[in-house]
Amino acid sequence: MTAPAAERSLTLKEVGQAQRGSRPDEVVIAVSPAFADPFTKTIVEVPHAEVIRQILAGIEEQGVHARMIKVWDTADLAAVAHIGARLSGSGISVGLLSRGTTMIHQRDLPRLSNLELFPQSPLLDAEVFRLIGSNAAQYAKGESPAPVPTRNDQMARPRWQAKAALLHLKEYECIVAGRRPVEVEPVISRLS
Amino acid sequence: MTTTEGRRSKRTEILEARPVNLDGFVEEWPEKGLVAMESDFDPTPSVRVEDGRIVELDGRARADFDFMDTFIADHALDVETAEEVNAIPSIEIARMLVDPRATRDEVIAVGRGLTPAKILDVVKLMNVVEIMMAMQKMRARRTPANQAHSTSAKDNPIQVAADAAEGALRGFAELETTLGVVRYAPLVAIALQVGGQVGRGGVLTQCALEEATELELGMRGITAYAETISVYGTESVFVDGDDTPWSKTFLAGAYASRGIKMRFTSGTGSEVQMGNAEGRSMLYLEIRCILMAKGAGVQGLQNGSISCIGVPGAVPGGIRAVAAENLIASWMDLECASGNDQSFSHSSMRRVSRALPQLLPGTDFVCSGYSGVPNADNMFAGSNFDVEDYDDWNTIQRDLQVDGGLRHVREPEILQVREKAARALQAVFAELDLPPITDAEVEAAVYAHGSGDYPDRDVLEDLKGAQAVMDRGVTGLDLVKALERTGFHDVAENLLTVLRQRVSGDLLQTSAILTDDFVPLSAINDANDYGGPGSGYRLEGERWEQLKKLRHVTSAENPETEVS
Amino acid sequence: MIVVGVDIGNSTTEACVASVVEGRVEYSGTALTRTTGVKGTPDNTEGAVSAVRRALNGRTPDLVLLNEATPVISGLAMETISETIITESTMIGHNPATPGGSGIGVGTTVSIDALVSATGPTIAVVPAGWDFDDVAHEITSSGADVVAAVLAHDDAVLVCNRLRTPIPVVDEVGAVEKVPLGMLAAVEVAPPGRTIRTLSDSYGLASVFGLDPDQTRQVSPVARALTGNRSAVVVRTPSGDVTDRRIPVGTLTLTGAGKTQRVDVDAGAEEIMATLARVQPLDDATGEPGTHVGGMLAQVRDTMTDVTGQPAAEIRIRDVLAVDTVVPNEVRGGLAGEVALENAVALAAMVRTSRSRMQVVADQVAEALGCRAEIGGIEGEMAVRGALTTPGTAVPIAVLDLGGGSTDAALLTSEGSSAVHVAGAGELVTKLIDSELALDDREQAEAVKRYPLAKVESFFHVRHEDGTVQFFAEPLPSHVFARVVTMTPEGPAPVQTRHTVDHVRRVRREAKRKVFAVNALRALRQVAPQGSLRLLDFVVLLGGSALDFEIPELIADALAPHGVVCGIGNVHGTEGPRNAVASGLVDAWVSR
Repeated sequence: MTAPAAERSLTLKEVGQAQRGSRPDEVVIAVSPAFADPFTKTIVEVPHAEVIRQILAGIEEQGVHARMIKVWDTADLAAVAHIGARLSGSGISVGLLSRGTTMIHQRDLPRLSNLELFPQSPLLDAEVFRLIGSNAAQYAKGESPAPVPTRNDQMARPRWQAKAALLHLKEYECIVAGRRPVEVEPVISRLS
Repeated sequence: MTTTEGRRSKRTEILEARPVNLDGFVEEWPEKGLVAMESDFDPTPSVRVEDGRIVELDGRARADFDFMDTFIADHALDVETAEEVNAIPSIEIARMLVDPRATRDEVIAVGRGLTPAKILDVVKLMNVVEIMMAMQKMRARRTPANQAHSTSAKDNPIQVAADAAEGALRGFAELETTLGVVRYAPLVAIALQVGGQVGRGGVLTQCALEEATELELGMRGITAYAETISVYGTESVFVDGDDTPWSKTFLAGAYASRGIKMRFTSGTGSEVQMGNAEGRSMLYLEIRCILMAKGAGVQGLQNGSISCIGVPGAVPGGIRAVAAENLIASWMDLECASGNDQSFSHSSMRRVSRALPQLLPGTDFVCSGYSGVPNADNMFAGSNFDVEDYDDWNTIQRDLQVDGGLRHVREPEILQVREKAARALQAVFAELDLPPITDAEVEAAVYAHGSGDYPDRDVLEDLKGAQAVMDRGVTGLDLVKALERTGFHDVAENLLTVLRQRVSGDLLQTSAILTDDFVPLSAINDANDYGGPGSGYRLEGERWEQLKKLRHVTSAENPETEVS
Repeated sequence: MIVVGVDIGNSTTEACVASVVEGRVEYSGTALTRTTGVKGTPDNTEGAVSAVRRALNGRTPDLVLLNEATPVISGLAMETISETIITESTMIGHNPATPGGSGIGVGTTVSIDALVSATGPTIAVVPAGWDFDDVAHEITSSGADVVAAVLAHDDAVLVCNRLRTPIPVVDEVGAVEKVPLGMLAAVEVAPPGRTIRTLSDSYGLASVFGLDPDQTRQVSPVARALTGNRSAVVVRTPSGDVTDRRIPVGTLTLTGAGKTQRVDVDAGAEEIMATLARVQPLDDATGEPGTHVGGMLAQVRDTMTDVTGQPAAEIRIRDVLAVDTVVPNEVRGGLAGEVALENAVALAAMVRTSRSRMQVVADQVAEALGCRAEIGGIEGEMAVRGALTTPGTAVPIAVLDLGGGSTDAALLTSEGSSAVHVAGAGELVTKLIDSELALDDREQAEAVKRYPLAKVESFFHVRHEDGTVQFFAEPLPSHVFARVVTMTPEGPAPVQTRHTVDHVRRVRREAKRKVFAVNALRALRQVAPQGSLRLLDFVVLLGGSALDFEIPELIADALAPHGVVCGIGNVHGTEGPRNAVASGLVDAWVSR
């Protein structure tokens, strides 16, 4: 992006209990309990503000609407994404964990399945998040986008396996069992 | 003392750039189980037996048992001796493990009744040298061995066959493969089997797949053993994978019913990685896995963290815990295929130090496995060692006079077995009406290093052929017949002899492998009799002479030349 | 006694077992295997023996009958004969999926970081690395009169949504740094579902750029190239142009009927086939060295030499089939990876020889199986005999054998029989489908050829190509969601394409028609009495491609105007179009 990259912050304003959407041209972005608060960036330090900004941009560029929810009672990516998909008017959702692991889900799929999965969080950067948003929007429109190309890094395990385990445990601590998903409005403010 | 703001030490910059600083390290978090083996949250050992049944295990009453506790209490622990041996002070048991004068049988007799927390308590008293000392005595088979991966980034069967042959020639006793495209499995498994037998008769082969398919290939005799049947240390993680200890045991029984060798797989770190360590340390949970395997009646276990190695590798004392888990498996009288099989560090120094606790004392399989292909072709996501480390490995064996299962082989011999393996596979494919292997592919196989050095195959035709193998019910005997008909009598004989082992059931014994004379070598007839200096397996005699050879050794007779 | 008929084809070897007792024949087993080696050579022995063993299923044979299979080597080459070139980066016509705004903006091209000093109507040109928020901000706050924009990233809608008033924006221009700056240009975007009106019209361009009649004529290829686009950019450069150039790919020399004719391959299939017609029956064909076609024809000859030992000079190419097709290719000088459908010619060729080595095959088969083996007869004749076991058929009868490498026709009347082979069959169809859909994947192209299409509309239903909907009780796998799929026996398989089901279906049917329907007529004309199709009454379709779900109907449609009735063979009333030659061999032997 423009050098130096603009610094932005992300606040998720709660607007009420998450409801099922009726418009068929919407994608729901579902985030995990610790997303944006207390965590503010992914495992490779991509700010959450930039993650959401890029996903929203990908969806907007396709002419589709976006709605965001925060899931409170689980930190399992498939569950988070599937809850979002079932609430989405198009049936399509993007699920995110704080460390960056992402998936595109659809409401009729089994929970443990997905449309596209991005399991190696260290390999996801702003550009990939933009493509994920774009693909999700295209699925919502009934189009068939080519899956976002995934990179593979053999040395990702030595470098990141333990930090990922640690972040996962921290996220688990933020679970509020029994709390229903909440619709949130992403407020992205520029700091510089 | 003044420092200019922002000026860095040149030394710091150099150290920052070292590969080891690319590895991941984290602080411990014992409450969540992110700790190797020293945790205040692990249970206190306890056991109570009533009417021949264990009613309390490590602080839990039977009414509160989860299914791991139940399985261990009912099937793993020796009820007769439990209360007695758990009362022995841990320090005494630890000393028995280390002291060469306490025999393996004595130590096993004690271990049989110990609870998971008690076992943990014992090994916590041992430093890594003591653990290695104990390992030397406790491994089941007297003769150490090694295992390799042979895979291809393009699932190219010729590559798998040629590298299997080279690996077998270099000394691996077991060979493992897996696929990028699952449908290729029948052809690649056949290639591994044929290539392995060309390298040296008696090598055992496996193909790591989804469990039902792997069992079918084994039942058909296209593979000789299975290993990647995973077990976990907490009920929640086990259930997440849609399994229970009983379902895994049933699967083990299915293999045993055909005389096929198999072992389970487990490893420290898997539970905490999945976020469900229930507050227990990595080693405590791994001990539960080891006892579960024992209770199921399988002959052995692959452990040593395996694909979770990045997790214990990131916490203090993690590699010590990994050494301990290998020891405990052997202590429970199981064959131990001791890890060293997954990439876990950018640092060459760390890659070696991590393997010393297995290499120096010797285990049933020092690596499970070493990559017998370049890591870029390794479809297990990269191993701790690969083909480019062969000469270093052989040198370390020679430096320390230890037998790591491998030896240096001269190039002409290697080229010869590679060519023979490719030709044999070419003949088998032709006999079985599979997509042909051209002479150009055979030629490439002889000199190749990685998958890029082979001509591309017609994948569509290969996949159709692979399906035909399954549809037509091709078995190991068909491979034997094909090899025989095409003139590869010795390879046919080798394969037939390997297949015959199912009838004798010898490969069901603990730690069974076959020598190149097809003599089964297992804990039964090659029992580890280590009892201190001058006993047990020693690298000496003819074998030591073999391991003295390296690629370049200056001749003593004529220092202007090298030993040929 | 147990008699086995064996038909060695180009791709498959079929065996048919019969027990013959006092002249009565009872068929009892068939088998199919891949032909080993080139048809008609000793390498076929393995496949033949394998097929016979499978069909026998344990019984011992007394006699094996093999067809007089003469080697047929077929070859296939594709030559792209046109090329699109844009000069001076004068236009951008890649038609991105999500342009911004609508309408037309005419102004001077200025880089976004120089907007503050721009005067007059301006078109902002934005390189890679600019964030969309910053682009919108810069356009709004620079004070310049920005009437349109050209972007490197996929940000057109994003930028437009952040402007006070929307302007036409074309995005995803990969080589945006090549857009000439400081020049007069126009950007046009049509509303969704519509196409541009001005830049795709020569007079539109004339109005926008104030062109005189000569300049208008010169710029008309640009207008033509942009027709049908939803968005476009045209920059008025001194002599920028877009040309559709013919690529010279050498000549094809055809010899026959005492004449030699030369035709330029880039003249297209029609011209080539017309030239071929003038020299029928073809004696030989050669291409120019250094061209794909020339190389293929030489290779086919060489392979035949290797296989039969016959010197290359004595080998004749007996038939060629040229088919027009299209190949998507990147446009030279394009700024955004524009792809144009270039014309191409696919050429199939066939070479055969009369030298047969079948006796060697027969001897080796006899030795392997421990019984007698004889050469039964010419395959054309045998095919017809086998076809005659189809209920409802009678002499005179014509047979069309649709194979993988060649299409064969044979005719049996009360006076005798004749047979002919023409180049072009199943393999060529797959190749055409592969190139026209730019799949670059033979497996997928095969699947498109063989199985009907559908669009997966939800996880529980697909819409077939005929419009009907099929529901599933279990959810479909996630990798087929929203995709165009082929309905294979193993389930829906995705086709990697952005085209609609209709488009793919059209390509598939056209490919089959261009090869099989054309060849059906060509081959049948050569065996028909006096070359007239009208004099054929019945045509039986045999071979693997006769099992295809639409090829028989395409052929029937092509033959109907000539009053010919055709149907799919059903050998012995049970084998369908397979095993005709193998059964024919047994029948011929019995009736001797």
